[in-house]
Amino acid sequence: MTNILDDYALMSPLRHKNNWLKLTIVLFGLLVGVSSTSPITPLFIALCMSFTTVALGRAPLKLYLKLLLAPVGFAFTGVVIIAFFSGSGQEILSFELAGYPFSVKADGLELALLVLSRSLSGMCCLYFLSLTTPMIELFAVLKASRLPESLIELSMLIYRYIFVFLDMAMSIKYAQTVRLGYSNFRRSLSSIGMLGSTLFIRSWEQGDKLFLAMNSRCYDGKMTLFEVNRPVRAVELLLTSAYFLSALALFYFTKNISIV
Amino acid sequence: MHIMEGFLPTPWWQAWFAVSIPVILYGIHKMNRLVNEKREILPLLAVAGAFIFVLSSLKLPSVTGSCSHPTGTGIAAIIFGPAISAVLGTIVLLYQALFLAHGGFTTLGANVFSMGIVGPVAVYLVYKAGMKTKLNFYAVVFLATAFGDWATYVTTSVELALAYPAGGALTFAGFMSSFGKFAAVFAITQLPLAIMEGAVSALLFKYVVNVKSDILVEMKVLEDAVVRKLRGTSA
Repeated sequence: MTNILDDYALMSPLRHKNNWLKLTIVLFGLLVGVSSTSPITPLFIALCMSFTTVALGRAPLKLYLKLLLAPVGFAFTGVVIIAFFSGSGQEILSFELAGYPFSVKADGLELALLVLSRSLSGMCCLYFLSLTTPMIELFAVLKASRLPESLIELSMLIYRYIFVFLDMAMSIKYAQTVRLGYSNFRRSLSSIGMLGSTLFIRSWEQGDKLFLAMNSRCYDGKMTLFEVNRPVRAVELLLTSAYFLSALALFYFTKNISIV
Repeated sequence: MHIMEGFLPTPWWQAWFAVSIPVILYGIHKMNRLVNEKREILPLLAVAGAFIFVLSSLKLPSVTGSCSHPTGTGIAAIIFGPAISAVLGTIVLLYQALFLAHGGFTTLGANVFSMGIVGPVAVYLVYKAGMKTKLNFYAVVFLATAFGDWATYVTTSVELALAYPAGGALTFAGFMSSFGKFAAVFAITQLPLAIMEGAVSALLFKYVVNVKSDILVEMKVLEDAVVRKLRGTSA
């Protein structure tokens, strides 16, 4: 639970590749995935991104599969609703449950599969980014993208403190658990309330200390970052453009294909 | 209540970005003004953001068996007001998408709208209204957080129903039928969860009032007299 994806990103060999290249690949995948009209292109993108993450990025395969399974739950509920209630074409499956008729129509199923595949491709793209690119590298990109200064500053500080507080929350939670703080429902409610308030008070004090520490080091509202210059190699460029071209070609040729 | 990456089709994810971005810009503007006025507020905002993230990654004990997590933005809305919570919420949602794969990039606009804008605004309105009626402070916090959660969940259902109306084309009847279905399915987890989060938030404020009430007075959440009265009754 405490394992944040960032830990794996720090160890990934793809960490040392050009950030802009990785970001372009991810954005391309997201946009093509979400605008495709057949499930084939998103599945192709999902496959490519998974391969890159696991084979080139050395993410543990078991962890990767576990990660993919986790958010599928929400996607699945939504998809089931879409499959059952949208569409108007031919019925392919219908039954009655507790007096209510349920039926899956052909175009409803088509839409549900499309949405599921889009979700899957989006998740694979996101995981590619988060398993190969540590947040620290992305801050330099954010700076260069001219977003409001205060927003970036705030994100960097939040990023730093997430780790401090996660550690704190985990140790408090262990301490509460060994004292049977979560042994029944009422107790867990009060334990989690205590945990939250302690966290809140401690984080507030930490904020005060942080301000003092930064002020005494001449903080003037700007933190300068060092961006490592990483040229894109020809092989990478070639592979990326091959991937882009094949995805676009697939997108074009499967435009009107339906699989149901 | 995050909407997954890739779940919203083309016209809708852009539309929700278009709705959310002006609000976030307004929030940033407001935050800049606050930071210029009181420079020590920036680190405080940062730890508040981290606090929201950590709180939302803790699992709540849930009655229905499914583990769910609090949104945490309700507390931020009560302390900092809705505009700044929108900015904090956006950053936290971005991190959740990156670190935990909750939500995503294309659906960020929709998620920010439901969790960073509608939720905190509802919390804030209920909180302000409740404080006027001289209800018990903890009861008000409970109600505000619970209503904020419900507002978030209704908004998410609206977003999904607009994108996937029953019958394919967007008509009012189709929208309503599909809205009812999404709302009904999510109600199983969201109705009890909101009550839980309300209870946890009220407990949280109770401990904070008991241990370090000067924070709340300083942020003008509570007046001194109210704090003294609360401590008198709860001690």
